[in-house]
Amino acid sequence: MLQVNIDGKTYNVNEGSSILEAAGKAHIKIPTLCYEEGLSIYGGCRLCVVEIEGERLLQPACATEIKEGMVIKTHSPKVQEVRRNLFELIIASHDISCKLNCLTCSKNGNCELRQAADIIGINQVRLKSRDKGYSEDRSSYSIIREPNKCITCGRCIRKCEEVQGIGIFTMANRGPATIVTTFEDKGMGNVECTNCGQCIHSCPTGALHEVYHYENVWDVLNDPSKHVVVQTAPAVRVAISEPFGAEPGAVATGQMVAALRRLGFDRVFDTNFTADLTIMEEGTELIERINNGGILPLLTSCSPGWIKFIEHFYPDLLPNISSCKSPQQMFGAVAKTYYAEKNNIPLEDLVVVSVMPCTAKKFEARRPEMEGDVDFVLTTRELARMIKTAGIDMLALEEEEYDNLMGVSSGAADIFGATGGVMEAALRTAYELITGEELEKLDFEMVRGLEGIKVAEIDINGLKVKGGVAHGLGNVRKLMDRIKSGEEFHFIELMACPGGCLGGGGQPIPTNEETRTRRMKAIYEIDKGKKMRKSHENSYVQKLYDDYLGKPGSHRAHELLHTSYTARGV
Amino acid sequence: MEETLFLKKDMKKELSNYEFSNLKKALKLGREKVIDIIKQSGLKGRGGAGFPTGLKWELAYQEEADKKYIICNGDEGEPGTFKDRYLLENNPVKVLEGILIVAYAIGADEGYCYIRGEYLGPINIFEKVINEAEATGILGENILDSGFNFNLYLVKGAGAYVCGDETSLINSIEGKRGRSRIKPPYPIAKGLFDKPTVVNNVETLVSAVEIINQGLDKYLELGTENSRGTKLVCLSGDVNQPGVYEVEFGQVTLGEIIEQFGKGIRNYVPLKFLVPGGISTQVLTPAELNVPYTYEGIASAGSALGSGAVIVVDEGHDLVDLMLNVSRFFMDETCGTCFPCREGNRQVYHMLKEGKEGFTEKDVELIKNVGTTIHLAARCGLGQTSLNFIGSVFDKFGDELKLKGGEHYVTSKY
Repeated sequence: MLQVNIDGKTYNVNEGSSILEAAGKAHIKIPTLCYEEGLSIYGGCRLCVVEIEGERLLQPACATEIKEGMVIKTHSPKVQEVRRNLFELIIASHDISCKLNCLTCSKNGNCELRQAADIIGINQVRLKSRDKGYSEDRSSYSIIREPNKCITCGRCIRKCEEVQGIGIFTMANRGPATIVTTFEDKGMGNVECTNCGQCIHSCPTGALHEVYHYENVWDVLNDPSKHVVVQTAPAVRVAISEPFGAEPGAVATGQMVAALRRLGFDRVFDTNFTADLTIMEEGTELIERINNGGILPLLTSCSPGWIKFIEHFYPDLLPNISSCKSPQQMFGAVAKTYYAEKNNIPLEDLVVVSVMPCTAKKFEARRPEMEGDVDFVLTTRELARMIKTAGIDMLALEEEEYDNLMGVSSGAADIFGATGGVMEAALRTAYELITGEELEKLDFEMVRGLEGIKVAEIDINGLKVKGGVAHGLGNVRKLMDRIKSGEEFHFIELMACPGGCLGGGGQPIPTNEETRTRRMKAIYEIDKGKKMRKSHENSYVQKLYDDYLGKPGSHRAHELLHTSYTARGV
Repeated sequence: MEETLFLKKDMKKELSNYEFSNLKKALKLGREKVIDIIKQSGLKGRGGAGFPTGLKWELAYQEEADKKYIICNGDEGEPGTFKDRYLLENNPVKVLEGILIVAYAIGADEGYCYIRGEYLGPINIFEKVINEAEATGILGENILDSGFNFNLYLVKGAGAYVCGDETSLINSIEGKRGRSRIKPPYPIAKGLFDKPTVVNNVETLVSAVEIINQGLDKYLELGTENSRGTKLVCLSGDVNQPGVYEVEFGQVTLGEIIEQFGKGIRNYVPLKFLVPGGISTQVLTPAELNVPYTYEGIASAGSALGSGAVIVVDEGHDLVDLMLNVSRFFMDETCGTCFPCREGNRQVYHMLKEGKEGFTEKDVELIKNVGTTIHLAARCGLGQTSLNFIGSVFDKFGDELKLKGGEHYVTSKY
């Protein structure tokens, strides 16, 4: 322990702490912009500068390690003045004007610039705003970049590189022309971007946001000739209440269903239904591969960010991926065939909308391999915005149930939203289908939690089934390399985003360690509270097979529920 | 007044017939003794920051590592400075010998010589020296049968001023973006490819060679206690005889440098001010030049010796033009990483440009506010010193800069 004096009080802090960490423990808030927990220190914004006795210049709290006996002033008049001047510079560079209206910004409500301005106490801007005149990057199906709002803090660069292990962003040019861009300015849609959207969570301003579909959705909702159905992903229900002021992890499934009906959706369904369906198809595929000496390990295919990742970086492992479409796409395919036929809805009038915690789902819905299954994809954030726009006080609504039949699901489907959930759901079903015995303990604790890579082995009829789980593409890459170096697995679950879908790029802001943990807890509680907790026990899925698909892995199931991939390379 | 020839003594352009007697001496003395001599000499880094050279070597020597590097910093970018160019052109062999001596002293077996990209002449000359040294075995395995191995690579800079800063230069050699690193760790502990690295300026290296060559006693006779030895002064601007002059510390005043080496101001126009150490330093008025040319002397006048660039400016210039020129340089050359330097220098440039028609009191205050902010909060030396020139012009000649609505000011009397 080291003894330091911060703002006149003495504290004992751990060796190796930065001034920022020490001040945080002392409940002193130092403003930051380029700092983000979990990313490397950048020391660029300089908002966190503090006065250290004996030092001529101010020092950044994020990058300065505590030394024994340091006397630190975090908010002296000199520090405050420098911070105010600095903030004026930042505002001028961010081009806050009628053109970049805060009110229309994607970060309206959770802009870190505004939060910093508030704690710095900025009361005037004497500097002229200097227009940068960059054009927007609209090359991606998932994400839009507005460089004029970028303050070049580099958090997106570091997130993509350090957490996701990809690095599509770079700093280019120097001086005031310094910008964050992609390789050769090609745009996010033309580089190895996986569309995971984690950069959006790191951006302190509105320079990065999803490609909006909500206006298209308003159009079809307002068109009486359209029959609009909506599906909601497992991870949305544990996050949708956050933009309405609820604590992270507050479950609002029923209220969300009620709100969706008020928005005018004709049917409100649950992606969970097709998550159960996925387990039936993927489980069948796994058993088949194990029994017939097929290619192992089988890799899951639910996360479209992960899919694009493997297409770019491990195309040689594409044969390992399950041919199952993701639950979103399965839903679309079933809705546009079975559902449409059963209800006599002409396909040109049927619109399938999904609400996803994900930005990559927008790209997935546009993939030529399965185009037309899903028409529009809303992120959790977009849905929250629509509900607010419609004047609906969501959290005050009476809970409502999903519509039948594609609204019923098992607890196994709910946990799809958390890392390890697909693995656990598959194990519950595979065990019972292979052994014919009832599984005594349904909770597979060893695949739960936020550990980056999880490995578990379970004994099924004497066969030791080895499963691996990785979430966050940085961890995914590590696990891929273990496979390539010869480690044997049977089944591997891979999710592009840290924490799995609950930490997806389309989730409410902030999405961080704390919100991920709380959303995860909520997901497992939903599962625990359900009577039906195994996918193969979902009688409505059985009915779909009986009515329409035949049996898992049938020809028709393959036609509708399975897909192929594209080797992209780098 | 004559130059004091210490660095300029026995300059070696050609490798042929050169014995590398100083390297031999160093190999004989042993690492610790060499470091001790340089420490005792009081030699300070000649790149601009003035860090004690012997201490740098000692710290690097004490680092335990499987690999260490030495980098010769020839990325001379400070406007007004051209003494490293002079040494690389006229004394390249001693530069090489200096690199070899440091490498030996700290235990490095690989090194880089990083030369400013615009210096085509010095690059060609030094490349030839390296090739010949490799051919004659002065670079490579078992140099001079001492068991000492050393390889040297030449790197051309790509035109970024910031790469003269040692951590930015290291990034540049590694193929990364030229921007400073957060310190600590210092390069001595974790530098090039994360290995202990000594970065020495060209002039520093030649000084070290000559200290070994001409002896510590001789060196200690030169200069003052805090400013040992001699310094190459790059005299430029409105003087009759610009050039690179070797000046013994403490023997002349700044004013005398103009008169005795520069042979006075050109065109019989009075002196307006002098920049004593490159455009990162504060200007000094004619009344402030009666200080000895030493680190401490110039500091006492409120500026810095910097890189040794002495720029003489007479009254025939528009002050705003001069400031705009300097400001444009810093605006373009900030690496773009830290907000105060990037945005501050941009704002100052535009405010100066808009002030061509005159400044209000508020304009001046705002420029100074931004300047203080950059100085106190910037990430590296580039930013911290970028407003020294402009700030000091405003401080010292503020009355002459037209205030909006006030009396007109004289841009140039001539």
